[in-house]
Amino acid sequence: MVGQARARRRHRRTDFHIVLGLVLLSLISVNLPADAQRSVRGAVRQSVLRPFIEIQVMVTRARSQARNYLTVRAQLDTMLTLIASQRTLAEETRQLRGLLQLEERSPSRLVPVTVTRSGTAGSASVFRIDKGSAAGIARFDAVRTDRGLLGQVLEVNPHSALAIDWSHPEFRVAAMTADGQSHGLVEVVQGQYREQDRLVLSGTAYLSDLAPGVEVLTSGRGGPFPRGIRIGWIAGVAGTSAGWDISYYIDPAVYPGTATYANVDIGLPDDTTRAAREATDSLAAASGSR
Amino acid sequence: MTRRDAVVAGGLIFTHLLLRVGFGLENQVPDLMLLALLLASRSLSLRAGAGLGFVLGVVEDSFSMLSFGASVFAMTLVGAAGAQVRHLFVGRSIFFHSTYFLLGKWVRDFLSWIVSDASGRGGFVDYVLIESPLASLYVAAAGVAIRLLLTRESNRR
Repeated sequence: MVGQARARRRHRRTDFHIVLGLVLLSLISVNLPADAQRSVRGAVRQSVLRPFIEIQVMVTRARSQARNYLTVRAQLDTMLTLIASQRTLAEETRQLRGLLQLEERSPSRLVPVTVTRSGTAGSASVFRIDKGSAAGIARFDAVRTDRGLLGQVLEVNPHSALAIDWSHPEFRVAAMTADGQSHGLVEVVQGQYREQDRLVLSGTAYLSDLAPGVEVLTSGRGGPFPRGIRIGWIAGVAGTSAGWDISYYIDPAVYPGTATYANVDIGLPDDTTRAAREATDSLAAASGSR
Repeated sequence: MTRRDAVVAGGLIFTHLLLRVGFGLENQVPDLMLLALLLASRSLSLRAGAGLGFVLGVVEDSFSMLSFGASVFAMTLVGAAGAQVRHLFVGRSIFFHSTYFLLGKWVRDFLSWIVSDASGRGGFVDYVLIESPLASLYVAAAGVAIRLLLTRESNRR
C-alpha cells in the first residue's frame, strides 16, 4: 500500500513536470523568432492541414465558377470596350515619352491567384493564395484585385503563400492622391470592435484640403508596392496633429471578405531587372570614362 | 480512454478542420476542436491532456500571423485542467457538462487573449466579455448535444 502510494505520488510529480515543460514550451513558442514561427506554421500547413486546404481551394473554385459567370462576362465586355476605345493611347504615350526622352515605364507582371481563408482562431486578416515561389511570388509582393489593393504577401512556400489584407495591424502602404499632390501613409486604425477598423491616410500636409471622393493610390515610395494601385477614396477628416499634419479616413476600394480571386504583382522579371542594372552600370562607366 | 471516446474526439477534430478550414465556415461552426479536447482530456492523464492540447494548439496556430503560440499556451493549460477536473467532479449531469464546456471555451479564449500580441487582439470588453461568452454558449450547446447523443448510445448498450 505504502509502495503504491509512493509510486502514485512519483507518477503525479512526473506528470506535473511534463505539464510544466509543455506550458514553458508553449510560452517559448509565443516568443520564438519570426523565422522559426514561420517554418513551424509552414510545416503544419504542408502536412496536417494540406488536405483541408485543398478542399477549400476546390470549394472556393466551384462556388465562384457557379456564381461569377455573369460578373466575369460583364467585366470582360467592359475591358474589351475600354481596350477598343483606348487602343491609340498606348502608341501616343510611347511617342510622347520618346519626345520627352523618358525611360520606358516598368512593366508589372501579375500572377492570378485564388484567395482562401482559414476559419481557425487568430487567423483574422490572413488569407492563403494558391501559388508561391515557383510562380515567382516573393515576400512583400502586393496583392491586388481589379478594384484595387487587397494586401501583401508575407510568407511564401513553393506552391502557396500566406498574405495579409489591409485590415491587418501590420499593414502599411505609402500613398498619394491621384494628382500626386498629397502624399502620406495609409494604415489601419482599430476601432472598439473589428467592424469599426478603418483605413486612415496620415502624414499629409496640414494645408492639404482633400475633398471626400478624391482617389488615393499607392505612391510606390519606399516600399514594395508599385505606384498607381488604387487604395480607396477619401471619406473625411480623421484628425489633425498639433497643426502639423492632417489625416483622412479612406473608403477602401476592396473589401477583403469579397475577394475570391486576386493578382499578385511580382514586378519586373529577374532577367529584365538584371539587364536594366547592367545597362545603368555600363552607362555610368561610359560617363565616367569621358 | 475508451476507443469510442478516441473516435468521437478524432471525429470532432476532423469535422472542425473540414468545416472551418475546408469549407471556410469560420465562426458559424462551434469550436469543435476545443470540444474534442475537453471531452478527451477528462479520460486522459494529466500529461496526455496537456500534450493533446499542445498539439491541437499548434494546428490552430498554423494560420496565426501575429499571435503564434497563443492557442498552444491556452489549449495546453485547458487540456491539463480538463484532465484534473475528473478528480474533482463526477460530472454526469447536463448542468455540469454545460458549465464545463462553457467555462472551458471562455478560459481558452481568455488565456489566448492574455498572451496574444496587443496590436492584433480585440479589446478586452469586446472579445473577452462579449464575443467569447457567446462563442462559449455555442460550444456548450454543441457539447451538451453531443454528450446526450453519446450517453443515449451507451445507455442502449
